[in-house]
Amino acid sequence: MNNLCADIGYKSVNHYGEQLCGDHVDIVEQDENSTVIVLADGLGSGVKASILSTLTSKIISTMMAEGLSLEDCVSTIAATLPICSERGVAYSTFTIIHLIGNETAEVIQYDNPLLILLRDGENYDYPKTEMTIGGKKIYRSSIKLRENDIFVAMSDGCPHAGIGTAYNFGWSREDIIDFMATVSVAGYTAKTLSTMLVDECYKLYGEQPGDDATACVVRIRKREPMNLLFGPPANRDDCDRMMSLFFSKEGKHIICGGTTSSIAAKYLHKPLKASLNFESSDIPPTAEIEGVDLVTEGVITVNRVLQYAKDYLADNKSYEQWSMKRDGASLICRLLFEEATDINFFVGRAVNPAHQNPDLPINFNIKMNLVEELSECLKKMGKRIKVSYF
Amino acid sequence: MKVTVCIGSSCHLKGSRQVVEALQRNIADHGLADTVELGGTFCMGKCQQGVCVSVDDDFFSVSPDTVDDFFKNTILARA
Repeated sequence: MNNLCADIGYKSVNHYGEQLCGDHVDIVEQDENSTVIVLADGLGSGVKASILSTLTSKIISTMMAEGLSLEDCVSTIAATLPICSERGVAYSTFTIIHLIGNETAEVIQYDNPLLILLRDGENYDYPKTEMTIGGKKIYRSSIKLRENDIFVAMSDGCPHAGIGTAYNFGWSREDIIDFMATVSVAGYTAKTLSTMLVDECYKLYGEQPGDDATACVVRIRKREPMNLLFGPPANRDDCDRMMSLFFSKEGKHIICGGTTSSIAAKYLHKPLKASLNFESSDIPPTAEIEGVDLVTEGVITVNRVLQYAKDYLADNKSYEQWSMKRDGASLICRLLFEEATDINFFVGRAVNPAHQNPDLPINFNIKMNLVEELSECLKKMGKRIKVSYF
Repeated sequence: MKVTVCIGSSCHLKGSRQVVEALQRNIADHGLADTVELGGTFCMGKCQQGVCVSVDDDFFSVSPDTVDDFFKNTILARA
């Protein structure tokens, strides 16, 4: 095992006027050492395509994760997929990325646009072996993973973007590579990268996509621990214990909450300097303590982080907000969503008497729910979360 | 003179942002930037009386509605 891990994110837009997407991405994390990602694109669009691609990706990901051979997977799909009454064929293209031990990626491609691999921000032409299974021409590659490798799998809706409107022949693979190479060096998450690619397709289609377009990005990165302290301990006598556990952890340290940061400042014997810069935001300003990477206000800030987290998992519409702004919530989002892979929450259960006022939207239960909901969201982003209560 | 405004959760909800902005405006209008040092702090432990403001070592409870009077009666008087 090495200290690499995979950050996986995807996004789709539907064919104009369709409620269902004909592309489907399925991710099965069998254990820490094996993850199977399948992007399938069903023939046509709408309900039929959605069923074809869902079946294909589910069958492949489940069978591959259980260790069955590629031949078995392909023949199972061929035998299982319902045949389209209009076209007389059962058809769904697919791209499989099988990550093994965070060291190797087995890539299997059938008729989707060829997977793009960016290594050190440049296109890397990986070797492919052609093979024929059940009459289908399939490319197979085995790639040794390196830190900062970025895999971009797409459905053909991406290179077809803009045909007849923005471009005569769609968005060429070379141009997509250039586009992704430019944004890949900025450290965006896989989800954000896939969103940028699909958003660009949507624009090229004149906001009326002629096909379902999906991008799935896999970013290979180092594990990055992060620690977040939120709230003073229920028992004042536990302050020192909580602080020493928190500060002994490896990785960056974030402190949320006014009283909490005063306790930390006292523990570190360093002054707590609050700024008055509101950063054109309705989030309270941040503060500084020497030895702490970020100090923010508590409930209001974390509540905003949770809103951004929920949006990130859904439409990812507000990434332009939190990826640019400098208010406390945006700064936390960038640290938690983009930088961190392993997050330790240190949550204090003290009840702030000033918050138990029915006029204020911030009572104790809300605070505890915030932590639970946020850690659920972060888990869905593929982070490893540990929560300790004090 | 050091004027400190609480920017903790409670005071934030009670309008510490408006208080800070009003004080910044008043200080600039009266050319007091060199005499008055305006700073922020987290919780002063008197959340019920927010927005909490301290002038040197004296505590004041200010609201967005009273901030202009507070500036006139307290800060200008001491400057």
